[in-house]
Amino acid sequence: MPKLSVLSEIQRKSMLMWPCIEHDDTPWTPMAKPLSESKVALVTTAGLHVRGDKPFIAEHTKGGDTSYRTIPRSAGAADIIQSHTSLGFDHTGIYRDVNVTFPIDRLQELVDQKMIGSLSYNYYSFMGALRDVTGIIEESGPEVARRLKDEGVDVVLLTPT
Amino acid sequence: MTTTGIVLIEEHAQRVKPPRMLAVPFFFGNALGEADNPEYQHQILAQTFGLLDRTEGPVLEQLPDDMVPDILMQGSETSNESQEKGLNAADELTSLRPYYEQWADSHSGRTGVGASSIPQRRFRGVVRFFEGYIEREETDMKERPQDSTVPQFIRNCMNDLKAFYYEARMAQRPDGADRDIHDWFWSETAMGSLTMNLAQRMRDDEDPETQAVAYGIAR
Repeated sequence: MPKLSVLSEIQRKSMLMWPCIEHDDTPWTPMAKPLSESKVALVTTAGLHVRGDKPFIAEHTKGGDTSYRTIPRSAGAADIIQSHTSLGFDHTGIYRDVNVTFPIDRLQELVDQKMIGSLSYNYYSFMGALRDVTGIIEESGPEVARRLKDEGVDVVLLTPT
Repeated sequence: MTTTGIVLIEEHAQRVKPPRMLAVPFFFGNALGEADNPEYQHQILAQTFGLLDRTEGPVLEQLPDDMVPDILMQGSETSNESQEKGLNAADELTSLRPYYEQWADSHSGRTGVGASSIPQRRFRGVVRFFEGYIEREETDMKERPQDSTVPQFIRNCMNDLKAFYYEARMAQRPDGADRDIHDWFWSETAMGSLTMNLAQRMRDDEDPETQAVAYGIAR
């Protein structure tokens, strides 16, 4: 997002008052090995999913949809669509090129260049713009983390939309 | 596991305190800066993965602020000329269909259309459904999944219609700037006008879910 100072007053206030959680500290996991030897996974809050999978829904009364979707790494750009519950922002970029928010081709290129060791079999997608993330903290987040660990993932790249 | 990532709202990362984040000055939907620009996307990734070398955190670093983007117009900030020109969304859809199909063909089937599962050749029926809904008629579509509420179904349909329009326009104007496509949709098309009317109808509804979908569709 651009600096809040260049947004309209209503957008600036909306962003500043967004009920995101506040932490006093940060969980810290240092790198166990070089990136060139690490298995990398991609996790996004862009509301993406494989074509035909269940779209994310606008569960306003629950603070948003805290479920997740699995996107196999083998899924090509043509297989991935976005059902982010906000359509009020510009989607042109992702229509043109899914990599602008979900860099599947860029990561493969980094593997080809031996900058990254390998990629996980599955990537994961959540909805962004949630007003209540309890469901992610207590359920879907730990579940995805377990699946990533089970696959031996070393590094997770997080992207928004 | 070690994490690194990109954040669009730096102020939110300051509160959440994730371990490593690169704050970027791009608009929603463009976390890696620019579509169809692999070189620039790799620069963003290099900066993001570069944070993995840090030995303590939280790390919240800003991308050098040399790409201040335009402010995108919202639908409510413009006047739509389509009604004065006598345009209607159903005919507009038909006239744009060859361009949409050209876009899909030239991108190996890659399309943002698909959330509603309604084939694009049946989108005129979606327009009629929307028009009836705006007039508060008893209206629905047999294609609506049973586990999808009417507001959710409307949102998925509108998602598809916008994708259809944007992709058709990108086929018409391959060199057009994203902002120009956005402005065209809201200022000139009958679908932009229909979207604003639909959003207003949903905002006026007493159901909170319906009101929430309205905000997502147009503001």
